[in-house]
Amino acid sequence: MNRSWYAPRRLVSYLLVAGIAVTALFPLAWMAISGFKSQAEVLRSPFQFFPDVWQLENYRLILADPPFVRAMAITFAGAVIFTVASLVVNAMAAYAFARLDFAGKPLWWIVCITPMFVPAMAILLTSFVVVSKLGMLDTLAVLIIPGVASSAQMFFLRQFYLNMPAAVEEAALIDGATRWQIFLQIFVPQSLGPFVVVGIASFLAYWNSYVWPVLVVSNPDLTQIMQYLATFRSARGNEWGMLMAGSTLAALPTIVLVLIFQRYIVNGVRLAGIK
Amino acid sequence: MLDTSAKPTGKAADVTGPSGTPSRRQRRRTAKVGEQVPRHLRAHRTAYLMITPMVVLLGIFVLWPLAYAFYLSFFEISFYKDAEFVGLDFYTFVLTDPDFYDSLFVGLKLALMVVPTILVLALLLASFIATLSKRMAAFMKTTVYVPAVVSSVVAAIIFVFIYQDEGFANWFIGLFGQGPLAWLNTATTALPAVAVPAVWLGFGVSTLIMLAGILDIPESYFESAQLDGANFWQRTWYITIPSLRNVILFLLVTGVTLTIQEFQLPLVMTNGGPVNATNTPNLYIFNSFRDGTPYATSYSLTAALLLFLVIGTISVIIFRVVSSEKSSDA
Repeated sequence: MNRSWYAPRRLVSYLLVAGIAVTALFPLAWMAISGFKSQAEVLRSPFQFFPDVWQLENYRLILADPPFVRAMAITFAGAVIFTVASLVVNAMAAYAFARLDFAGKPLWWIVCITPMFVPAMAILLTSFVVVSKLGMLDTLAVLIIPGVASSAQMFFLRQFYLNMPAAVEEAALIDGATRWQIFLQIFVPQSLGPFVVVGIASFLAYWNSYVWPVLVVSNPDLTQIMQYLATFRSARGNEWGMLMAGSTLAALPTIVLVLIFQRYIVNGVRLAGIK
Repeated sequence: MLDTSAKPTGKAADVTGPSGTPSRRQRRRTAKVGEQVPRHLRAHRTAYLMITPMVVLLGIFVLWPLAYAFYLSFFEISFYKDAEFVGLDFYTFVLTDPDFYDSLFVGLKLALMVVPTILVLALLLASFIATLSKRMAAFMKTTVYVPAVVSSVVAAIIFVFIYQDEGFANWFIGLFGQGPLAWLNTATTALPAVAVPAVWLGFGVSTLIMLAGILDIPESYFESAQLDGANFWQRTWYITIPSLRNVILFLLVTGVTLTIQEFQLPLVMTNGGPVNATNTPNLYIFNSFRDGTPYATSYSLTAALLLFLVIGTISVIIFRVVSSEKSSDA
């Protein structure tokens, strides 16, 4: 949106853009750069932004640490499964609530939408009791399954499906297509944009989660990446260079994801229709 | 018609395989019955299959824990003896416990620091981004969004590093001749020090939402104000802010409800200290549960439910406001 009266101030704009970008990204940049500093340099006084000597030692050390690599791999695998499962479960329900008529719909709608208003902390402790009663503690399943169904995501997708034109659906019904075919062959292919938005939200939620893994997982083979970082900080708090290198690598997948899909995310804000 | 529906049915069943519950067997049975029952009943069956995974998962992992929490809040739970019904006793305990109110106060103070800062920052940034060329605007939108995807654990670690004695924060105030501070170990500075990463994590999404709102304001408003000689601040004050009233209200209320519930940042950065200065309500609940004192379970459950009552009510109100506006738009 180029609002013409600003044109003469273009130079100021450029400077402002650069300044804001540097400020917003400073903490991340400093984290990544500190990973390149030697142990002696990382906490040197007086403070210095760039290292005298760029060295890869911290990144090499953290990547040679089997628990770190395992945590990255298992969290990534979990996040991918979680994302796909959320999309399947939430999109199906969203389609049913948006486009189908069925007995008891208002009741089931309340069942599916009420959880949106339940803060995580209110059920965190009893969720722990429930999953332990189900014998799910210390499994990959307990990290994935409890969060798969999301009222907010279902609601978001339903808004999108409500706005799809009815004509195509009617034509397909007359041609004898089943509701499943309509959903899978017409609605799903049309939902790429919304799927990217909620898919990224799912991936981030899983990748960034910390408290739930801490509660339900004690098996080191299942340690999630944020759990690993927090443990590293409390146990080896003085090894800042390595911790910064590890944090950088742990933040990388989410940042890359955003850079790849940034177009969809920005549109997603408008799709969500918050205004 | 039967032919056309019969063949792809099998295919559809295959594709739904990963969802688990609606198995192929069930699909077949539906198709057979479907020949006799009217179409609207078949829609029932399909709809039920489609919502079943959602209903079952939410039932087990949200509604059951919620009901269970209510149930347990009326009992005194102990590992050594049977649970004993105590009615509303725990509600009385929580509501008369000064620690509970102290934590609420900490949550409110944090919200007071974080939310207005985010709103002002987001308004300025969004107004600025709206004036940029398409490519620059795209660059800025991505830039402001990047911090929002960083986990609060990573943010907490970065900022603990920044607040180190030899860290960036002390170097920065040193430029103005101020002595080094023990940011996270001083009661007065600890909460503001936690608020900074909270702002950093939160301003991106608010900026994008405000930007969406600003781009919906008719450009002619700004143009005529421009002709009348209004400067940037006047345009912001008299056009942007009034036009964004609903967006700002939405961000204000969601911001407050979310910030009061913040607890991962203080958990990793300070664990509530020093002297409970950063003990937000959720962190207080979480820690009192981990304390393992005799009544910890029932106490923390009851506190969580009371907090939920307040926050849940606020959320329902926002939701009503937002969705009623949407329907009047359409």
